[in-house]
Amino acid sequence: MKTLKQYLRALLDAKKLLAYTFLLCFFLWVSMPFVMIALKSIGKNWFGKLWLPPDLTADWYKWAIVVTNIPEVLKNSLVIAALAVTIATLIAIPTGWALGRRKIPGKEAITAIILLPRMIPPIAYALGVAQIFYRLHLIDTHIGVAIAHVAICAPYAILVLSSTFEALDDRVLEAASVCGANNMRTFFHVTLPLVMPGILSSLIFTFTTSYNEFTLTLMTYGPKTMTLPVRTYLAIGEGYWEVTSALSMLLIVPSLFVLFMIQRQVQPEKLVGGFKGV
Amino acid sequence: MASFLKSRRYALTSLLMLSPGLAGFFGLFFYPVLVTIVRSLRPEGEASGWTLQNYVDFLGQSSAREVIVLTFVLAISCTVLSILLSVPLTLLLRRKLRGHRLFRLTILIPITVPGLVGALGLLLFYGSRGWPNLFLTQTLKVIDQPLQINYTLVGVIIFYVWHYFSYTAVTTLSTLEGLDPAYEEAARVSGASPWQVLRHVVIPLIMPGVLAGSVLTFMAAFGAFSIPLITGGNYRPLAVQIYKQISIFTPARWGAASAMAMVMAALQLVFLTFYMRVMRRREA
Repeated sequence: MKTLKQYLRALLDAKKLLAYTFLLCFFLWVSMPFVMIALKSIGKNWFGKLWLPPDLTADWYKWAIVVTNIPEVLKNSLVIAALAVTIATLIAIPTGWALGRRKIPGKEAITAIILLPRMIPPIAYALGVAQIFYRLHLIDTHIGVAIAHVAICAPYAILVLSSTFEALDDRVLEAASVCGANNMRTFFHVTLPLVMPGILSSLIFTFTTSYNEFTLTLMTYGPKTMTLPVRTYLAIGEGYWEVTSALSMLLIVPSLFVLFMIQRQVQPEKLVGGFKGV
Repeated sequence: MASFLKSRRYALTSLLMLSPGLAGFFGLFFYPVLVTIVRSLRPEGEASGWTLQNYVDFLGQSSAREVIVLTFVLAISCTVLSILLSVPLTLLLRRKLRGHRLFRLTILIPITVPGLVGALGLLLFYGSRGWPNLFLTQTLKVIDQPLQINYTLVGVIIFYVWHYFSYTAVTTLSTLEGLDPAYEEAARVSGASPWQVLRHVVIPLIMPGVLAGSVLTFMAAFGAFSIPLITGGNYRPLAVQIYKQISIFTPARWGAASAMAMVMAALQLVFLTFYMRVMRRREA
């Protein structure tokens, strides 16, 4: 009996071992590319059959700053992302409120229309956006690239905000007015704190979407509005992989920071989802 | 009368609130698509008039069929492999093993990090001097020459799965966690083995969620642009071919690019409609 128990426990452990091996392989499979980039960006004389770079150097970062003009490119990326976030949020708050809280005939249809851009490959409307922008002289302007990004950001923002506003409990608002709060007071002390996490996650998400956006930037950028993803793409083409790795580290760090934030603040399925009903 | 006015005011303010979203949709999506459609029906260059020449030119080439097949092969194999990876992965994560939070975070990495950076890292990792190849040639010594993974079809599919499996995994995980344990309990009490519970209870119940997530993976993989642009080599799916039309040729062939984009959008819509219909039938 005792040996049987021991045998069963060993079997259970073997199962657990198998589970952990699988999870570890998965973790390595996802994370190894970043380890390689990090090593490449600080390694020197890393040729041939060496597992690790023999010497360390910060040269590639210096190169990246001088050759690829990082301060300027980073500034462009941040300005464009800030503009895109502002425009997308200004669009999404009223629209999200109407979709989330108001009785509207054909609400399903309107939601479907707003989500339609996600069903068409971005390159299909990026072509049209580029042609329109050429005509309006919006190519190679910060505001132009930002407006192009809004096409991608706004549907996400509307989706997140409308579900946030929808989750707002009427009874809480009623309770506030029953307790004698006027509209202003209810708004600032009850409504705003309740919807803040949703708005925050929408802001974070639109920001990273714009900061990382490549397709629409490539169709609307110019020398004055070079962003980090486009610069990275050009650097990959130029073939200096060490410098490109250093440049990439600049794109990874904010993304991982945001990842850490959203994991705490919102459920990730909200960010990818919203398609179950369509 | 008063209530009529009130309801009219309500409708009007609702419309006013919706207008920024609708304006954005028409200005940034509907109008650009319309421009692309019109451009695809105009002859190349500055000439006016209407023509189907762009479509005839593209679809008439023998390479067009190859490109379309390649795009579908990449997207479908990526979707299938994502499902095969996500289901066991999320079944393990659901058991809340030690360290499961780290693995949950890991699922999200590929969709938070810019695609270009992921592509660069994958090229470095799977390259002839990357660790998998060093392991095979140096440690195990099973092969002499490093395996060529980058720029091969298998390599591109691996890269696609790396980039797009997250959508399927996240949706599957949330479906699994929303699953009522009572069903499994009932099956177990009735004498089903763990495997039977999995096969006949859990998998059928999470299938709608898995398929919904896989739609997202499919769409991302079908429209993928930056990944194949960098890592594809000679494998150029539709999105890359479209971009080539306006980046390589001078003057840019906007008409040809627009026609190809329309074909691509139509293919995706048709496939999605078909997919959704199959999904609905399964649910019913």
